[in-house]
Amino acid sequence: MKPAVPTVIVQKRLEVSRKVSTVTSAFFIMLSFLVSGIIFEAMGVSAAETFIVIASIFASPSLLLQAILRGLPIGLAALGLSVAFRMNFWNIGAEGQIYMGMFAATGVILLHTFQGFLPSVLVFPAMLLASFLAGGLYCLLPAILKAKLGVNEVLTTLMMNFIAILFVDYLVYGPWRDPEGFNFPLSIQFPDYARMGFLTGQASYEGLIMLIIFAALVYAIMQYTTVGFEFRVVGESPEVARHSGISYAKTLLLGGLISGGLAGVAGFTVVSGLIGRLRPRASPGYGYTAIIVAFLATLNPWLIIPAGIFFGGLLVAGDVIQSTLDLPFAAVQIFQSVIFLFIIMGEFAKRYRIVIRFR
Amino acid sequence: MSEQETLVEMHGITKRFPGVLANDNVNFSLLRGEVHALLGENGAGKTTLMNILYGLYRMDAGEIWVKGRRVSIKSPKDAIKLGIGMVHQQFRLIPTHTVAENIILGLKEMGVILNYGRINKQLEEIIRFYGWSIPPNAKVWQLSAGEKQQVELLKALFRRADILILDEPTSVLTPQETLQLFNALRKMADEGRGIILITHKLDEVMRVSDRVTVMRRGKVVAVRKTLDVTPDELARLMVGKPLVTSFERKQESTAEYVLQVENLHVLDDKGLPAVRGVSLRIKKREILGIAGVTGNGQQELVETIAGLRKASAGRITIDGHDVTNKNSAEVIKQGVAYIPPEISKCIAFNMSVAENLVMKTYKYPPFSSKIILRWRSIKEKAQDLIQRFNIVTPSPNTRAGALSGGNLQRLILARELSLIPAHERPKLILAAYPTKGLDVAATEFVRRLLVENRDEGAAVLLVSEDLDEIMMLSDRVVVMYRGEIVGELSREQLEVETIGLMMMGVKRGGGAA
Repeated sequence: MKPAVPTVIVQKRLEVSRKVSTVTSAFFIMLSFLVSGIIFEAMGVSAAETFIVIASIFASPSLLLQAILRGLPIGLAALGLSVAFRMNFWNIGAEGQIYMGMFAATGVILLHTFQGFLPSVLVFPAMLLASFLAGGLYCLLPAILKAKLGVNEVLTTLMMNFIAILFVDYLVYGPWRDPEGFNFPLSIQFPDYARMGFLTGQASYEGLIMLIIFAALVYAIMQYTTVGFEFRVVGESPEVARHSGISYAKTLLLGGLISGGLAGVAGFTVVSGLIGRLRPRASPGYGYTAIIVAFLATLNPWLIIPAGIFFGGLLVAGDVIQSTLDLPFAAVQIFQSVIFLFIIMGEFAKRYRIVIRFR
Repeated sequence: MSEQETLVEMHGITKRFPGVLANDNVNFSLLRGEVHALLGENGAGKTTLMNILYGLYRMDAGEIWVKGRRVSIKSPKDAIKLGIGMVHQQFRLIPTHTVAENIILGLKEMGVILNYGRINKQLEEIIRFYGWSIPPNAKVWQLSAGEKQQVELLKALFRRADILILDEPTSVLTPQETLQLFNALRKMADEGRGIILITHKLDEVMRVSDRVTVMRRGKVVAVRKTLDVTPDELARLMVGKPLVTSFERKQESTAEYVLQVENLHVLDDKGLPAVRGVSLRIKKREILGIAGVTGNGQQELVETIAGLRKASAGRITIDGHDVTNKNSAEVIKQGVAYIPPEISKCIAFNMSVAENLVMKTYKYPPFSSKIILRWRSIKEKAQDLIQRFNIVTPSPNTRAGALSGGNLQRLILARELSLIPAHERPKLILAAYPTKGLDVAATEFVRRLLVENRDEGAAVLLVSEDLDEIMMLSDRVVVMYRGEIVGELSREQLEVETIGLMMMGVKRGGGAA
């Protein structure tokens, strides 16, 4: 008889159970920590120390509040992206939509301050609404182009980011510059009634509540409404949608509006919650980090909350690492990217199993 | 019979896919000079076995001997070297290239400079020998399905294959083309080749084969000389139980027209005329069969009626409502069921069975209040339909993609025939190739459902390339050729030869409407 030779076979899984999914994800996230650790060591700092700094962010109440506040725009934008991605609309333009949201929110303040068109109590909701519409409409354009002409949304949304960023630059360097701001490219300071935190005095609390409410809304829309059903069918296949009598174009436009709208609201939280005025480059890439968060949370709105706050924490950690460990801010970005890379690998690995057989 | 050389010997072949044992200790042999039919229902493991022989799949266990030598076939390249050729169900040709270019594609022996004069001469010899008529310089897209198949065969012959595998070769052919193919196969066998014919059609086995291996559920259940078996016996071996295939008419159709199509013109995806001035009417309780070779405008016609394609001229009314160029949602509202030829076009594989079942009715009560979905009603209805239509699924929440092809077809039937918005039953059923690729039992199930719905009062438009199916089910038959209706026959006038000639555009006319 021949000796038993083990053969390794890679088989596709028919069904990925929740257990397999969780275990694989956890394994790959651990792996990403390991690889990042090696990179930190290579940069000449102790990996253990770096991870302790990062972990300490979530242990200190004051830093955690900061993490929430910085995770808020990431989370909101990721909620929007989860809607778009679910329908296979690859919106890479959350960053630009965030800037349009900041623009609209600031516009409301300026109108109010210089034209006095609204009672002060209504300014806050008006900013919220305006930022949603601005972000939504900004995302509607690529959606229309895709629905009517088949233009690839990855290109249009990505390129429109630069338009939005430079548009805000133009405003704060030009017409919207604070006349009493010593020529700095800054808008006027927002009045208190336009700042998050006017209820509790702590913008982070309101931010967290807002994030939970919007996550619940997105969850409800996707699971319990006919519109969400249509989003999911369109995401599966436009062909199947057509067969079922669902209008691909209409659904895509509505989805685009919601997706961009949530990113617009994210922009609102940046100016109203975090900074208190409009300034150039007010977002350090929240819209791009949101893409990672949306995938890390497997497009699940509930998981986007912790994932968003985690990445908000990483941003805070970046600041701390810079000052205490003398590492460049890019170290945190490397960490982010490595996590993302391994998540994608994990998603792939989930769908296969490795069988070792002796024959 | 004299002692023939054994070309292929497969021993104890076992192939496991996740959750299925596709081949279970299968033995198979092919002799020189024989046409060997490999008979079985869909999913019986015929194609899997042959894909192993052709090197497309690796077997988990077993041995293959070719011409007396133990071989290990790791890829089609190895198979081709051993003289094995395979003609797949879907042609693997490049439409924009010529016949000759397709044939020499991938042949290293041709050298760097191609001598088309010599190649064409060789090809023409083979073509003439088998009584074919394809010019080697014709572009493949200009050829009919039958001719494309001849190109595939040429490809194998040109590579000097003496073991030829044909996977359900007649599914795209007209009766005349089938006859031509069988004559060619006979000739190839007489030349000393071995031919393996994968099929689930009994009459083909009887007509052309010398021996037959019957497979059922991954196992070989019988190997017989064709002369020694009857079709009934084969059917029993293949299905495991006797079949009932006749359908009784219960009621006469009434005079009410459900569907009226007048002078319809439709363009295909390339913008060329696909449907050219078609007029037809279907009464309540009537099945109208549309016969024709695939690609003569049937698909475009059905899609236009279903609201999935725009008409360039003409009028479509359903129960008196003008639905010309209305979108699919409007057409669905009129009580139209559509069973499309491809499952993939109407199943969302990552959504649940329940969600797929309400795909057309989710906007209507009791499944939603227009905006909010009512999951309880959806699940209840799904549970009910899963039982009534015998859909095998662990639960209504299972991903549709996890279901087998037959179960997905049942899912589509359940949705289309019992969940049409605002109607108890569909008023009009558009069935485009509803049994294509299904096994005998599933085919029977589909046909019975169509007849049942007809008896309940539905008008049915049945498009099929299976003439037996058309003859069996239709109350009236029209034949489409190049986008036109070239003939109409009442049930009493149905005759395979006449329809076959009309399908080829040779004969026109017909009887009373």
